[in-house]
Amino acid sequence: MAPGILLLAPLSLLPFVFIVVMSLSRVHLLGGVRFDFAGLVNWARVFTDPDVGMAWVRSFGYFVLTVGLEMGFGLVFALCLWRLLRGRTTVLSLMLLPMFVAPVFVGLLGRFLTDSTFGLYAWVLRQLGVQTDVLGSQGSAFAAVVLMDVWEWTPLITMIALAGLSAVPESVREAASLDGAGGWQMLRYVVLPSISNVLLVALLIRSMDAIRYFDIIWVTTNGGPADATKIVPVRLYEVAFRFFDLGYAATIGLLMLAVSIVIARAFVRLLDQKGLAR
Amino acid sequence: MITPRPENAVSRRRLLTGVAGGAAALAASSLLGGCGARGSSVTRHPDAGMWRQYQGSTLNFISENTAPTAAIAANTTPFTELTGININIVTLELSALVQKVALDLASGRSTYQLIYADPYQVLAPYARGLVDLRELMADPSLPQVPLGVGDFIPTHLEAAGKFVSPDEIYALPYDCPTLIWQYRRDLFEKYADQMSHDLGFDPMPSDASTWDQYYAIARWFNDNATDDVPYGTGHQAKQHDSLMNDFSNVLWAYGGDYFDNGGQVGGLGTVDPGPCRLDSPAAIEAANFYSRLLSIAHPASLSWDWDGLGNAFAAGQLAMCPNWHEYAASNESKLPGKVDYAPLPRGPVRSANMYGGTGLGISASTTADERRAAWLFAVWATSPEIELANLKSKAGGGTPTRTSVYQMPEVVAAEHRPSSMPNILTAAAVSKAWEPQNIGLRPKIPMWNECDTAIFTQLSRMLLGDSKPDEAMRDTTAQINRIVSRGWVASS
Repeated sequence: MAPGILLLAPLSLLPFVFIVVMSLSRVHLLGGVRFDFAGLVNWARVFTDPDVGMAWVRSFGYFVLTVGLEMGFGLVFALCLWRLLRGRTTVLSLMLLPMFVAPVFVGLLGRFLTDSTFGLYAWVLRQLGVQTDVLGSQGSAFAAVVLMDVWEWTPLITMIALAGLSAVPESVREAASLDGAGGWQMLRYVVLPSISNVLLVALLIRSMDAIRYFDIIWVTTNGGPADATKIVPVRLYEVAFRFFDLGYAATIGLLMLAVSIVIARAFVRLLDQKGLAR
Repeated sequence: MITPRPENAVSRRRLLTGVAGGAAALAASSLLGGCGARGSSVTRHPDAGMWRQYQGSTLNFISENTAPTAAIAANTTPFTELTGININIVTLELSALVQKVALDLASGRSTYQLIYADPYQVLAPYARGLVDLRELMADPSLPQVPLGVGDFIPTHLEAAGKFVSPDEIYALPYDCPTLIWQYRRDLFEKYADQMSHDLGFDPMPSDASTWDQYYAIARWFNDNATDDVPYGTGHQAKQHDSLMNDFSNVLWAYGGDYFDNGGQVGGLGTVDPGPCRLDSPAAIEAANFYSRLLSIAHPASLSWDWDGLGNAFAAGQLAMCPNWHEYAASNESKLPGKVDYAPLPRGPVRSANMYGGTGLGISASTTADERRAAWLFAVWATSPEIELANLKSKAGGGTPTRTSVYQMPEVVAAEHRPSSMPNILTAAAVSKAWEPQNIGLRPKIPMWNECDTAIFTQLSRMLLGDSKPDEAMRDTTAQINRIVSRGWVASS
């Protein structure tokens, strides 16, 4: 264990301790970084800051929507591909393409497609009678950044779910058919329970990612309009790298870390209950 | 059963000792690297002459991706031929630049000797991290600023070069984008008679035009000329720095301001601006008008920053808009001969034109020789000859900061079409805009970034109907007062 700790220390433990100290300090930059002990000022502020509070509310909405839609669409696409006997590899390869695009490019692409001067989607919406600018109003801007993330990461869920489906034993499905199970019953009582563990792992991976979602929002909306897309990572970035209030930013970051650990622990406990955590 | 250990196996004790030793060696080498002589690539050759005394050296310049830097970066050969110095230019989007500069100044290592010192995001918060250039101006072994600092347009020198003290100079004015009224002359001329008849005033933009007239013209285009242009006006009203810029023109025109003594706070700047005055009746009236104006603007205004607005205007989506004057080059290439320029309209108090210029500064973390070598570049890059060359450059274009450049015969000739320097087509408008009574200077305070964010966030809420103009102004005032009372957190 000791070598592991020695390797881990410079990578994780020391930065963690450093961040904790920062959260208890006022951090000065000019003339070399210097910490002035500030006690719990930053911690008191983070729990009373309405901007951070609203950012958490939006983060929760964003988390539920992106992860929910990605799991739903991913599973449906995986089931469709599973049924596909010819050309499955080709279709899967095409479907996976968005996953290989850097999120910042997904954001730029989304911004271009929704630009009211040049954008294809904006033009299509105008033909349908929708005159509102997609990134210019709160609801549509929020929906747009959610859909951009869903577009990029649904293929990952599809791939993981398809791997799980491929492992469902043929004999089990045949036995269920002989027992008279229809399509829905087969899915509900045989297929989904068989791949639930795989789906749980997919859910864990995407959840951890969704909490720290940043790139697409920063490139497309900058957190606006009217803060409609300002989730916690965007607020954290602003506080750290626009306002250079590094002590307060460390506090927000630690709170994000705590939330991530709570979510991860919940999933690991579920996996543990299923005997998959070891 | 005990498995025998192979002869060449590493014991746990040896492994731990090795890892600890390696870590110690790494730490020691990094410490030594940090404490030892910083890898300066600048060496002086005292006998090589004033301009060539640092030949063979290398300098790093970090800049926003602006027109003059694009022009200089496209051809650094003249500087290298003159001085023998190699110059590496890193261009970034402004917020990324501010991060890098802040972290570079904090490290004390001066990776970048030359800094594009935005007055509000770099100069005000980090003035102590920049060299007072007077020490280099006074050095007889270094070249002097051609025609002296008096050749820089006075408002530019004060806004981009100084902070708090009227004597210290932290940056030489390097560029000067300014918000002016950009309009489709072809459409204004086509509809001049009809508009005059319908509106009851001469619609052609002039020094006497008012914001109320601007609104009426925009509305007229919306109602009567959609075959030629979809919307009368467009704005850079994305939740972004651009929204604060766009609104500020109206705020000042109506007699409002961010703080008392706005001329001083915007000109030399201050570390303690006092209470915010955005809740004044004039500011609330300005917010009411701005909200009304944006309600008839192109709907995509709410998602445009200056680039989005510039693209939309050049694409023929708008009859007019307030935008930075450096977009003239792009306008002229996409709508040749069709666009003209004027100072922004007057409000009840004045015409105000937001100044967005920047200076070229030198990091105070540099060694004496580094800052002397950097000075050579600063003098060269802001010299009249290079500002003229930038204007002619196809790679960038320029926004000269020197009075003498605007007086050069070939520049004067280029103020009228056909012009080989499209940015100079705006000369008449910007020279009016830079007069002390017309220039718009946002507060130059160290905590401006946070105040700016509060302003454009509340304005965005107002434009989307989440708050009324008076509520937006009062909420912004309260937020700014909180930010200012906390002080500048990153200062030393």
